[in-house]
Amino acid sequence: MDTTTHAAPPAAAGPLSLHGLSVEGVNQCVHCGLCLAYCPTFSELGTEMDSPRGRIFMIKSLAEGRMSLSDSTVRHLSLCLDCRACETVCPAGVPYGRLIEAAKAEIERDRPGALGRRLFRWLNFGLLLGHPRLLGLAASGARFYQASGLQRLVRKSGLVRLLPGTLPAWEALLPPVPAKAERTAPPRVTPAEGPRRARVALLTGCVQSVIFAAHNRATARVLAKNGCEVIVPDGQGCCGALNAHGGDHERALAMARKTIDAFESARADAVVVNTSGCGAHMKAYGHLLAADRGYAERAKRFAASVRDLAEFLAQEPLRGSLSSVPLTCTYHDPCHVAHGQKIKSEPRTLLAQIPGLRVVELAESDWCCGSAGIYNLTEPEMATRLLHRKVSHVLATGAEAVVTANPGCILQIQAGLGAHGSAVRVLHLVEILDRAYGGPGGAQ
Amino acid sequence: MPDALLDKLRAAVGAANLLTGVELSPYVVEGRTPEAAVFPGSIEEVAVVMALASQVGRSVTPWGGGTAASVGMPAPRAGLIMGLRRLGRLLDHEPGDLTATVEAGMTVAALQTALGSRGQWLSLDPADADRATIGGVLATNACGPRRHLYGTARDLLIGVTVVTADGSIVKGGGKVVKNVAGYDLPKLFIGSYGTLGVIVEATVKLRPLPGQEELVCVRFDRLKDAGAAVRAIAASDLLPNAVELLDGAAAAGAGLAAGSPTPGGLLVVGFDGVREQVDWQRAELARLTGPLGGRDVRPLEVAAWARLTPAARAAFGATAAVMALAVLPSQVAETMEQGAGIARGRGLQSAWAAHAGVGVVRGAVASDPAPTDPAALAAVLAEWREMARAGGGHANLEWAPLVVKSQVPVWDDPGAAGRIMERIKAQLDPRNILNPGRFVAGI
Amino acid sequence: MSPLTDTRKRELRRELESIVGQAAVLSDPDELMVYESDGLTLFRALADFVVFPTSAQHVSAVVKLANRENLPFVARGAGTGLSGGCLPTEGGIVISMMRMNRVLEVDYENQIAVVEPGLVNLHLSWKVGPRGYYYAPDPSSQQACTIGGNIANNSGGPHTLKYGVTTNHVLGLEVVMPDGEIVWLGGKTREACGYDLAGVFVGSEGTFGIATRIVVRILKKPQAVKTVLAVFDAIDQASAAVSAIIARGLVPAAMEMIDRLTIQAVEDAFNCGYPRDADAALLIELDGLAVGMDTQAEHIVAACRESGAREVRTARSEAERQLLWKGRKSAFGAYGRVSPAYMVMDGVIPRTKLPYVLRRVNEIVAAAGLRVGNVFHAGDGNLHPNILYDPRKPGEEARVVAAGAEIMKVCAQVGGSISGEHGIGLEKADFMPFIFSAADLALMHRLKSAFNVSGLCNPGKIFPTKKSCVEVGPVAYRPHAIEEKGLAQRF
Repeated sequence: MDTTTHAAPPAAAGPLSLHGLSVEGVNQCVHCGLCLAYCPTFSELGTEMDSPRGRIFMIKSLAEGRMSLSDSTVRHLSLCLDCRACETVCPAGVPYGRLIEAAKAEIERDRPGALGRRLFRWLNFGLLLGHPRLLGLAASGARFYQASGLQRLVRKSGLVRLLPGTLPAWEALLPPVPAKAERTAPPRVTPAEGPRRARVALLTGCVQSVIFAAHNRATARVLAKNGCEVIVPDGQGCCGALNAHGGDHERALAMARKTIDAFESARADAVVVNTSGCGAHMKAYGHLLAADRGYAERAKRFAASVRDLAEFLAQEPLRGSLSSVPLTCTYHDPCHVAHGQKIKSEPRTLLAQIPGLRVVELAESDWCCGSAGIYNLTEPEMATRLLHRKVSHVLATGAEAVVTANPGCILQIQAGLGAHGSAVRVLHLVEILDRAYGGPGGAQ
Repeated sequence: MPDALLDKLRAAVGAANLLTGVELSPYVVEGRTPEAAVFPGSIEEVAVVMALASQVGRSVTPWGGGTAASVGMPAPRAGLIMGLRRLGRLLDHEPGDLTATVEAGMTVAALQTALGSRGQWLSLDPADADRATIGGVLATNACGPRRHLYGTARDLLIGVTVVTADGSIVKGGGKVVKNVAGYDLPKLFIGSYGTLGVIVEATVKLRPLPGQEELVCVRFDRLKDAGAAVRAIAASDLLPNAVELLDGAAAAGAGLAAGSPTPGGLLVVGFDGVREQVDWQRAELARLTGPLGGRDVRPLEVAAWARLTPAARAAFGATAAVMALAVLPSQVAETMEQGAGIARGRGLQSAWAAHAGVGVVRGAVASDPAPTDPAALAAVLAEWREMARAGGGHANLEWAPLVVKSQVPVWDDPGAAGRIMERIKAQLDPRNILNPGRFVAGI
Repeated sequence: MSPLTDTRKRELRRELESIVGQAAVLSDPDELMVYESDGLTLFRALADFVVFPTSAQHVSAVVKLANRENLPFVARGAGTGLSGGCLPTEGGIVISMMRMNRVLEVDYENQIAVVEPGLVNLHLSWKVGPRGYYYAPDPSSQQACTIGGNIANNSGGPHTLKYGVTTNHVLGLEVVMPDGEIVWLGGKTREACGYDLAGVFVGSEGTFGIATRIVVRILKKPQAVKTVLAVFDAIDQASAAVSAIIARGLVPAAMEMIDRLTIQAVEDAFNCGYPRDADAALLIELDGLAVGMDTQAEHIVAACRESGAREVRTARSEAERQLLWKGRKSAFGAYGRVSPAYMVMDGVIPRTKLPYVLRRVNEIVAAAGLRVGNVFHAGDGNLHPNILYDPRKPGEEARVVAAGAEIMKVCAQVGGSISGEHGIGLEKADFMPFIFSAADLALMHRLKSAFNVSGLCNPGKIFPTKKSCVEVGPVAYRPHAIEEKGLAQRF
């Protein structure tokens, strides 16, 4: 045994931090291990470095200086999905999500990586996510690539295999980008129908607004059916969740401030979000900006007003008349709804109110599908293993559709089902609700 | 035996507690007369006797009620009998703790009477309860029909005190119902047939006496159908405390085959609990077994309990051999039918009874009216054993004359595990004085 | 200190890789460090290698290599153990069973399952649950701990009151012996052939070999279950209720006690429905036939009320029942909300001594200037005082260890045991003389020699290291031999 790497921790350590972010939460971990079997990477690999307990131990050891940021440590921390399944089962209340984000920020500072990777991160985190117009342009480019037949050509010719790094994986997962007309945002104001319940502001998101703009429009319609005046504030962009999960801490702060600025002016009763990662992240703004004097209080107030769409709607029975949706579906819990926001019963409550809809439970419904932000691009091998696991559970249900509530999950599971040659569709919760209300032309 | 040793033994236990010569007749096994029988009055005296025997290399056979004395091979040289009848006290019974500590020589019946006076019992029901002692029951892992719900000695013994071959007093386990400190010595000594040490004291888990208990039998024309009923019970919500299956001959032997003709199979099921639970279960049993061919569901008298375990052997006036087969519960009826067929094929009659729910089957071969052909008998027993092994089980010869035992090994082959058993024996009894040669793998 | 040179380590790594595969060997110091503790962080020790076999043949080959190299080895499951039982001692090889986690066979008709040791306990119940069966031993860590680990420690759980511990549910095991031979102990039938080696193996804390396949019993789910929560303003009343229930001739499936401090921690964690202002609560579960259950429940309620319960209620739904159990089973972890560390004791006492021993526990811990939370299997008399402390405060750890030893002594003095389900491991090895004589330990050692001839299989566990201290009586805390040698550290 190597006793030199094995010194006792400092007797009276000060507050522990990484990259200036507090990781004091590691001290809440009592090493009980109840998280282990709920961690997808640990279940797949069986190695404790790839478990929550092991990662907390590594983060603690890093902060205490017992361990250095070696290649293996970076590897194991990077393999974390940040799905936060461990948080749900942790009796000690370890704030795992915060710990891993601090660790990822430290990794980015310590080893930003090769030029290609830095360029890639700058392009995505800095340029595209930070600038909605550029994202729109990129979307047009992607749309051209797909619609022109170029994509088919690249794939068929095998050219795709010549792409460097993780680009082939990127290419394979590139979602079908809808035509520009389909990418329009909901109206800036949608009036409430029936007795007025609330004035809500809608986050249209970054990627969501490009690929799933239809979900945003459906969300506005469904909220309106349920007595909500729906505002889409100007000047909103990306909430910064992808940056924070990817260790891009500084830009994440800036994006959070910008989001708060944009939404405060809407003076809404609630900020409604239909993408899980964004909702969970925005609810944590208070913590994120706690050290920012100008924003700390505002961030706390803002965070308190954020509601996941299902969480908001399920407070009351659905209003208006719902038509039958004759379909057998199953529900996949996005990590940042189930674990990030502890919302599990609400989507099921909503689905149960739709006539004609049969809902069957999915095994490991709250296990990560491998999408996890951009995880399927950075860790394609593990993402694929988890996707296979998810798809096999989905197929075992015999459902015709998987309902979920996050763009990443939708794309990932759809890709997985496609690869299995399955005709099972993946739908956003709001699509089902919208369909029950009659869709865009739904009766008033 | 040298007089000097006898003197030392007398000094250790008192002259009245040492038997020699003709007084040894009750302790003659398979025609072999021991050199002496000693009856120590305390654990310390057991230790002294053991140490003396060890010094002179005399073999020692622990002796309780003698009910299982003929099981296994006799020692090549009969040495000392270590009789434990004087260690017959209930040392401690704390009803609030549901535990009791008892000396090894106390009979099961005496213990149950004492415990029963305070509303509790040891949930173990071996045959011959008024002769069988606690020490003997543990050493031979004896049990009865109620093991179906309450398990065997391994589920009830929480502490044991043993005198080892060198005369040390050793205890394992403890007096509390849950205990993982140290190795599980109670498990080691249960069923070890006195080959590793002399059990002198035991602490056991108790249960409250049930309010009601009832034994119910169901007749079947075909044994096979009764086997299906056993499986149906296992898959049901019923919580019987016994599930026994007897063929016609064994049912008759146990005096349970009322009516005629003799049934192909008799299913006997026990229930306990509060009145309404017993009533519900009896009705449910009738409902389950009816469609499978079960008829005449009727309660049995209390005395029938004790006749179940020895039913196969009791089927015949004279029995040539009894074999106990451990099989999967689902194979019980098939084992009984197949086993009877094997015997018939050799011109022999057999009787079968089983603790069916747990897959313990006993087959007995009749030796009357004509004396059985030893070769045919050996062949039958060997085939029975093969039958058990084919299903992943094993079989031991529970009773047979020495002439049969010398042809058919009493104990089944434990396989590679036998080497570990030999090492354990060598570690605990290096001079091989405790019941030498009686047990598995020549131990 | 590992005797291996770096060169030798590299060679051995290659050899291990040739057995289990390249991605199944760890030797990077940072990775090994993650394996330095189990659920008890008081002890730490580093291995030379961690390997991840996927078959008995792998395990056998690794064990044979260890024998050839005279390297100690130890099997590890999920590492949720609470006695340091799966820690390496002098370098050597940790054999992680986590990649052997399949259910190999389920035979519903005979109510048995054959599983690999790395299978998570609860996952077996999940597997057989849809057919109406379950695996009865339910340690509180069952959502993470493995059946192999349960075998090593003969794990219990709340429902052992009625259903027994692990050993009562194991019929047979395929074992890689400490010399690498693969042997079956027991089998699928209920009777042992020869000595009950399966029974002896269970609870041997990994010192008799490594189980690679396990035949366990699965039970039919009971027809009916009723869960009662009784709330008390004084912990003595709760203890009295336990005795009153037994005195009425009832043996519930489980009878768990949870004290005020623990109630508060679990309520913070999961809002389970325990009243925060109670001094103690009893969670009592009845199961079995639906008929007669109400009558039994009435007896339980009456016994609790007579003992002074201020409130007795029955869970009205399965969800409410599950939530109450979740609180109970998460209690240890929930202490993380009120303290950065805790040490859990695992003493067992005769039920009737409960009030006295609980008072003594509270006195001992208070005298040490510490706090204690009690959550335990009251029906079995299996106590779990959790002494809370802060490892960063100088001197606290030593006070915890001393108080723990004091509590163990009290348990021994009233005729109890020093471990009900967590095992002896490293932690309690030196407490063994509290309950066992030199002769008792010598016999156990001979038994160990019969299985573990070379002594390389999980050395340094269970047996006290100072032979002189075998008399029952006060024994001061002193470092374990392997701590003295600097091979493991107690923090």
